[in-house]
Amino acid sequence: MVKAELVKRSPLRILEKSIHGGVGKGNIGVIASRKGTGKTACLVHIATDQLFQNKHVIHVSFSGRTDHIVSWYEDIFGEIAKKRELDNAMTIHDEVIKNRVIMNFNQDGVTADQLLRSLRSLMTDGQFAADLIVVDGYDFERGQPDTLTAIKEFAAELDLEVWFSASIHRDDPRTDDHGVPVLLSPFEDSIGVLITLQPADEHVKLSLIKDHGNYVTEDLHLMLDAKSLLIAEEK
Amino acid sequence: MAIEISKMRNIGISAHIDSGKTTLTERILFYCEKIHAIHEVRGKDGVGATMDSMELERERGITIASASTNVTWKDHPINIIDTPGHVDFTIEVERSLRVLDGAVLVLCSVGGVQSQSITVDRQLNRYNVPFLAFINKADRTGANPYKVREQLREKLGHNAIMMQMPIGLEDKFEGLVDLVLMKAVYFDGPAGETLRYEDIPADMQAQADELHEELIDAVSMYSDELAEAYLEGEVTEDQIHEAVRAGVLRRELTPVFVGSAYKNKGVQTLLNAVLRYLPSPRQVSNTALDLDDNEAPVEVHSDDSAKTVALAFKLEDTNYGQLTYIRIYQGTVKKGDELFNTRSQKKFKVGRLIRMHANHMEDITEAPSGDIVALFGIDCASGDTFCHPDLNYSMTSMYVPNAVISLAIKPKDKKSADNMGKALNRFTKEDPTFRTHVDPESQETIIQGMGELHLDVYVERMRREYKAEVETGAPQVAYRETITQRADFNYTHKKQTGGSGQFGRVAGYIEPLQEGEYEFVNEIKGGVIPSEYIPSVDKGIQVALQKGPTIGFPIVGVRAAINDGSTHPVDSSDMAFQAAGLQAFRDAYKRAKPEILEPIMKVSVEGPTEYQGNVFASINQRRGIILSSNEDGAFSVVEAEVPLSEMFGYSTVLRSLTQGKAEYSMEFLKYGRVPKSIAEELVTKYQEERKAEAVRA
Repeated sequence: MVKAELVKRSPLRILEKSIHGGVGKGNIGVIASRKGTGKTACLVHIATDQLFQNKHVIHVSFSGRTDHIVSWYEDIFGEIAKKRELDNAMTIHDEVIKNRVIMNFNQDGVTADQLLRSLRSLMTDGQFAADLIVVDGYDFERGQPDTLTAIKEFAAELDLEVWFSASIHRDDPRTDDHGVPVLLSPFEDSIGVLITLQPADEHVKLSLIKDHGNYVTEDLHLMLDAKSLLIAEEK
Repeated sequence: MAIEISKMRNIGISAHIDSGKTTLTERILFYCEKIHAIHEVRGKDGVGATMDSMELERERGITIASASTNVTWKDHPINIIDTPGHVDFTIEVERSLRVLDGAVLVLCSVGGVQSQSITVDRQLNRYNVPFLAFINKADRTGANPYKVREQLREKLGHNAIMMQMPIGLEDKFEGLVDLVLMKAVYFDGPAGETLRYEDIPADMQAQADELHEELIDAVSMYSDELAEAYLEGEVTEDQIHEAVRAGVLRRELTPVFVGSAYKNKGVQTLLNAVLRYLPSPRQVSNTALDLDDNEAPVEVHSDDSAKTVALAFKLEDTNYGQLTYIRIYQGTVKKGDELFNTRSQKKFKVGRLIRMHANHMEDITEAPSGDIVALFGIDCASGDTFCHPDLNYSMTSMYVPNAVISLAIKPKDKKSADNMGKALNRFTKEDPTFRTHVDPESQETIIQGMGELHLDVYVERMRREYKAEVETGAPQVAYRETITQRADFNYTHKKQTGGSGQFGRVAGYIEPLQEGEYEFVNEIKGGVIPSEYIPSVDKGIQVALQKGPTIGFPIVGVRAAINDGSTHPVDSSDMAFQAAGLQAFRDAYKRAKPEILEPIMKVSVEGPTEYQGNVFASINQRRGIILSSNEDGAFSVVEAEVPLSEMFGYSTVLRSLTQGKAEYSMEFLKYGRVPKSIAEELVTKYQEERKAEAVRA
């Protein structure tokens, strides 16, 4: 399969359709679930899909070492290439991977201002024209609603889409009236799209909770394949 | 003096530049009573630290060559191999790691784990060297050994355990708490030579107890005896030491020591730890390759009665001739012994045998297995293996990377020309990554190496040590040419100029080769070309590969196959088929969409976060690709891939961009395609040069 075909047939097109064209520039999407359900895999799949479209991605992480993140990308890329029998996989890999920068922060030591300053300096001084920022490992429990507002403004100013992952505590199944986990309630105004992951029998289900101002409880008919950790259509 | 090998330690001190490694070494020599005064690395007294034997190193405050020195601590002989910290001299680091049995990884209390510490850590892993960590400079403003311990855990994945805790920090750094002994240690006297043990200060007792528990908890998994004693509540110091030692030898535990070499604190306790936790040569196994048995690995034993195997790991030029440092892996080396150099396949006699101290040498008559000593007057290259004449072993050959940069040098006068020759001869023997040749066309002497600084240092050494004044040209990147598509050829070489003529026809194709530089495939069927001429075709193609037509650099990544041809009963010859191969290749090359490749370096820049924007910009301006950035508070590390050709003078630029607060390291990563616009420039330049040469001729 060639690259263009692969992009066209990606299950992420289904997701985009459900949320009316995608998160959209200047908006924040959040993937929420408890630890170990596959949020990072989802973010990396979303990022890789953008890379396949020759777009530029900044991967912000608070949790891991950069080499761990790199191997996430290698794994997801490898799985997609294998599944779709991608032609010239190595060449395409080398080509698209240039368009990804990993920025790793220590959340204790870095303020929201500093985070945005670093992102801005990469995009302006480093002339890295990012289309998407994925933020993995941000601790919403310790985070401030102001931070998300600032990031949303930043995204609007620089014409970016942003995806976050949010870890929900295992022992806290509480949600508000709209089905939003209480942890994220204070941040709701800034969140454009909210998707939750729920472990089902042998896979993980993706459910849409919020779609640009509308609260829905829509089954996306998408799941996370337990083996490849790729987002896939439900059979 | 007989040496007990079980007491001996061969250790290296590995560190990031400026983490105070040389000062630490200096203090070790002082406490071991090898030297009588302490000099600072960049001392005001102009003497400089003793280990920095080269003037150049003295001036720059860095250590380049890895001299080995012998000291004695509490009746234990210790050979210290001082390893350089700069990536440009990695081959020296790796060569010294080869001969170490253990290492001390020095880290700065302020800077912590930096990119070079990561490189050094990787090297220690590659050579399986057990090590201790020493967090130096606890007296510095901003010192935080606990944070560095966390970095060891997070960034390097070490199971790092505090063995000591600092009493006070920064300018209030007074001493240490020994977490095994559970005592406070102070270093009294003008140079901290007297250790005074006291009770732990009351306000630190709780934290000390906690860290002590943590220590025992962590190490008890390496000793059943300790685990049992722990449950019974009767742990002895020796049990703890044994468990730590077991963890270190398995390379699963990193005991962390703290101190300030500069303030004379924590050095003696570190030396005690070296004796306690690092192995003696007896406890380390090494393998050699048997050259008589298809390089099959054989274990060598640190046993004096076995047949000798030794590795020459370092050469030094002295007033008395070449000094060769050797590590003896098996058997002994005695004055008058006959040994066999397995590379040159020549025998030689051991003349003077020397034990090296920091600034003087001691003549000895015999050295046991496991020892590190030096020989005088042996003609050899570094990396050679010396064996008993019955053996034909080679210690594992080390990976030598290709040179990525070259520089034309020209002596300023006749005397310099002679001296330059001597210097180059020496350097190439010392350092396999440093190469030299005379360009057949320009008649210039070309030196090649791993980076700008690498070559700079050698040019400086020529001037200082060999009194050779040389002019240098602009550094030249080692480009490569390659092809991107298959092209067929069918070429007839025919010459008829009286006498016997030349005739050879070859047909086949060339195509890109993913892995490797060159491959020749013979697909001839039915003997249309006699088998004796096949190697001639291969040879002819290889000649063509040496200098590509695009910009005159070697061609790589080519598979050439021949599948047809014809011969003439009289006129075909080796020569004729060589010429046919060469011309056929050149002919096909034009149609195979040739491309230029350039060395791409992995660059790591570290410094205060406030300058990160400048660093991003500087990388972007250099056609670099930013891979990642890591921010930890005020400190950040940016990793990027940048073409080497854009990195010239980067250290100066970086200094001015960051007020000297950032530094970078780089190493060769891969060859990458040169962008079209730059390729065109290179081609134009090459064509102009050729035109100018043609006019001169």
